[in-house]
Amino acid sequence: MDISILLRQHVGGPCKPIVSEGEEVKRGQLIAVPEGLGANIHSSVSGKVKKIVEDRILIQPDGEQSPDYIKIDEHDNLLESIKAAGITGAGGAGFPTHIKLDADLKDGCVIANCVECETALHHNIRLLEEDPQLVIKGIQYAMEVTKAPRAYIAIKEKNTQAIDALEKHLLDNIGIKKLKDIYPMGEERAIIHAIFDQWLEPTQLPLEADCVVLNTETLANITMAIEDRKPVIDKDITIIGQLNGGKEPHILFQVPIGTPIKELIERCGGIHGEYGEIIIGGPYTGKAEDLDTAVVTKMSGGAIVTIPFPKYEGPVGLLACACAADEARLRDVAGKMGAQVTGVVECKNIVDVRGAKKCKTPGDCPGQAEKVIELKRSGAERIIISNCSDCSNTVMCCAPKMGIPVYHHTDHVFRTLDYTLTRRLPMD
Amino acid sequence: MSITAEQAMEMKSELAVVCCRIEEGVVIEAEHLEDPSIFPDLVDSGLLDIPADCLKIGEVIGAKMTKTVDSLTPLTLDIVEGTIKLEEDEHVELEDEDEKAVLKFNKGEGEIIAIEDLENPMHFDKLTDSLLIDLNDKVLSRKEAVGKKLTRDVEALTPITPDMLEGYEAIVEETDKVYQRAANDGILRIKIDEGKGIDIEVPLGMGGTPVAREVPFKAKEKEAVVEEKEEEKVVRKLTRKHFQIDQVKLGTETLIDGTTLYIREDACKDAIETEKLVTDMKIDIITPDKYDEYSNTIMDVQPIATKEEGQLGEGITRVIDGVVVLVTGTDENGVQIGEFGSSEGRLERNIMWGRPGSPDKGEIFIKTDVTIKEGTGMERPGPMAVHKATDMVVQEIREALKEADEDLIVNTDELVQKRRPGKKKVVIIKEIMGQGAMHDNYLLPVEPVGTLGAKANVDLGNVPIMVSPLQVLDGCVHALTCIGPASKETSRHYWREPLVLEAMNDEEIDLAGVIFVGSPQINSEKYYVSELLGMIVESMDVDGAIITTEGFGNNHVDFASHIEQVGKRDVPVVGVTYAAVQGQLVVGNEYMDAMIDLNKSRQGIENEILGNNCLAYEDAIRILYMLKAKMAGEEIVAPERSWKPEVKSNNIDLIEKATGKEIEIAPNETSLKMSKKRREIYEKDEIEEN
Repeated sequence: MDISILLRQHVGGPCKPIVSEGEEVKRGQLIAVPEGLGANIHSSVSGKVKKIVEDRILIQPDGEQSPDYIKIDEHDNLLESIKAAGITGAGGAGFPTHIKLDADLKDGCVIANCVECETALHHNIRLLEEDPQLVIKGIQYAMEVTKAPRAYIAIKEKNTQAIDALEKHLLDNIGIKKLKDIYPMGEERAIIHAIFDQWLEPTQLPLEADCVVLNTETLANITMAIEDRKPVIDKDITIIGQLNGGKEPHILFQVPIGTPIKELIERCGGIHGEYGEIIIGGPYTGKAEDLDTAVVTKMSGGAIVTIPFPKYEGPVGLLACACAADEARLRDVAGKMGAQVTGVVECKNIVDVRGAKKCKTPGDCPGQAEKVIELKRSGAERIIISNCSDCSNTVMCCAPKMGIPVYHHTDHVFRTLDYTLTRRLPMD
Repeated sequence: MSITAEQAMEMKSELAVVCCRIEEGVVIEAEHLEDPSIFPDLVDSGLLDIPADCLKIGEVIGAKMTKTVDSLTPLTLDIVEGTIKLEEDEHVELEDEDEKAVLKFNKGEGEIIAIEDLENPMHFDKLTDSLLIDLNDKVLSRKEAVGKKLTRDVEALTPITPDMLEGYEAIVEETDKVYQRAANDGILRIKIDEGKGIDIEVPLGMGGTPVAREVPFKAKEKEAVVEEKEEEKVVRKLTRKHFQIDQVKLGTETLIDGTTLYIREDACKDAIETEKLVTDMKIDIITPDKYDEYSNTIMDVQPIATKEEGQLGEGITRVIDGVVVLVTGTDENGVQIGEFGSSEGRLERNIMWGRPGSPDKGEIFIKTDVTIKEGTGMERPGPMAVHKATDMVVQEIREALKEADEDLIVNTDELVQKRRPGKKKVVIIKEIMGQGAMHDNYLLPVEPVGTLGAKANVDLGNVPIMVSPLQVLDGCVHALTCIGPASKETSRHYWREPLVLEAMNDEEIDLAGVIFVGSPQINSEKYYVSELLGMIVESMDVDGAIITTEGFGNNHVDFASHIEQVGKRDVPVVGVTYAAVQGQLVVGNEYMDAMIDLNKSRQGIENEILGNNCLAYEDAIRILYMLKAKMAGEEIVAPERSWKPEVKSNNIDLIEKATGKEIEIAPNETSLKMSKKRREIYEKDEIEEN
């Protein structure tokens, strides 16, 4: 099966191909470069460039593939190596890492975001359990680049095995911050709030709090770029859901970027019976993609095969949130259920920052009653929400009292996996 | 022990552990594998530690060992090659079968509901809270829904109710008559004559059409006729007149003078003459200051009572307070008349005071010490002679009691047997010893706890016999006790039987009666009496049954069979026995899911302290709540693998919380000075450690 390497696997515009159709490429070879904001893209396989289309380069891989690769050039400057390797945020946003790290944090810190807050994804925690040093070294390189004297590892307190593994290798200037298990604990500003007890404005970058936040796998990629001169050509990914053999997660380390998701699902047993949709990413922020076209990118965290949607053909209202599904995704879910959308509202904490929706205080609810009333007035008989744990709790305290049944857009995922549904929080 | 190829097929998703040494290169077969049913025991005893990546039986059969390993090694990928991948979905078992059935997927008309079509109950709270599902009483349980065909399209997240399933209309039409009566317990009861044994109950006031709980079929309301609420009915009464005695003396004549009881000096001599096997007999009057004296094993504790009016179980009974009869004895060689346990020793260290079947502290004992011919203690006539000789003396006292002046009555109380139509009808079944020798009981004597006119249940073939609760409380059992004094019911036990008393007075149930069934020696006879018992219970149409037994071991075979006979007739049944550590059940069946353990000893053992592990008030309460819970269809949590006293205390806490009543817990042997046997046998190790 062909490998499709997307030209846009990061924040910024698509990269420009520097190979031509018919050309032989080697694994690790630079094949596209950014024009403006972006990161280098390398071929993850050895083979022949079959076709170049608007958004991707199709490569027909050779029969035999070696794990070896063409190494990036040697650089004296660590940041140059990171840039050459084409590292971007592996947690989903895809911000180019060399730009993020081009900062002076001599009074600040590096935060390792090891909060795998999308509950269905498991590869980051597994990596920490199995090779904590790969990540810790990445933290040290990031500290060296930014001159940060300190670093924190933010991780959920429930991941005790990973915490134990990390603690064995910890250095004095790296601390562990154990966080509660609620969504969206892993959001950058939520982490900064949890560590420094201070909310950044949605418009502010972590840099303004004198810190950078880097995801687990991004840190591992930094180590590999610097020590092995390896470009970002492979991705860790969790495959989970309605699969033959059960709903336990399959964690695939270092899968060549551009590999069709379908092939990975087959490798993990194949889809069991009928399915609802394939979500690329986590249950909260992931998007449904077509099984036949979805491929691994530098940003894909997982592929979730869900059970079919429950049918509901009545009128629904949508309550969108910045922390999870947006309006488009909610409309997608409503449509798949067969429902008629009568109204859409946004959580009042949403602010528009340069075209992106952000929450003022992720994980800290501003109250939802008026939004639910608004949806009921629009004629909605049920609502579908995409709120975080805390906001979902608030919705649950009002909507059922008004006689409005509530779906969460992650329900079909958690019902597939038998994880707890996002609703009322336990009282403790 | 290894398993067979057939077992390996059945247990292919169980874990694979080799049962004996297996050499490198050997192809694994069923015979190499340990039986998974003993894994928990192996783990408990530290013989086995199963790693998370242990392979399953289905995966390893036919694979090859890459290393030689010794017995009890779990098979993992690093020592086996050529494993087969299992299709896990082949083996789906219905879990949480009593939880409600909610569809997980959208299903179409005509489709059959499979196990995997049902939503995981873990989501119910949140889905209910979100108003997405409503799990009302119409909703069927998972076990009721699985395998049924849908008569229309049903969306995912819809609770399954009978009206969407094929079949229920048809069944209702087969019925000829449907009665419906509103009883004062808030239960709408619908009886369907000539249906298929369908008994439908729904709480009243739910609105809508009543729906089956136990069978997924609905009855038509319009055919129902509501009857009037029924009143409770007094069946019979028993009056007890109490005479207080504070002194017992030997004299020329047996008589009651004020609060003094005189026993004729020659009474013993006459009694010896009536019984061929009795070679000697004496009477000891044990007052509280003599409680530390040595005694031979206590064969029975008996109240002294006599009929003033009416048959046993009704009318008026006179009873002496402050005095009990203790029957003790040995053979001529000094061998205690007992088997598997005997309570000889200092009285106060071997009696658990205050149990229903024990003496109470402060009472005077008329203790007979009977000697029988050597070697006759283990045959029926021996122990019987001891009891009959003793009863000769007691009968004289009964006659004197009949003559006693009315003015001496210190207290009168009345026991009332009521039937409560409309309440859950319950029968108590008490298994009593019937193996012969000292394992026997005289039933229905003329006088309370007498011997005259009674028949031994061994002679009656141990068959089930129905008596009224008042007959039990009026001494219809003269117990030829002796299996191990801690778990054996004495004659006095029946006289004060707390379960019968509590059940009879419980306004939430309708106690139909008490069945005694003997426990024969021979296994085939055990099943014989058990089947008879099943038929009686079937004909009674009860809503619940309680089965108790005394002792442990051999009698557990028929005890389990009784529970099965009752349980398989769809009657909720609670089993009651001493079990704990030493009396662990040797047999079991699927109906034994609501069991009450009578143990009260600290160590969970038979420590030969009289009455220690017999049914007490606290047990009666637990038994009745367990039965009520089971009759209401509540889930009874499976026990832990090994005996834990906390299970009982937790249950008592739960009942106290639910009822707001405090339940008094009777003290156990730790409140006594240590007996010789406890010191030298049962608690020896602990004493040495200190």
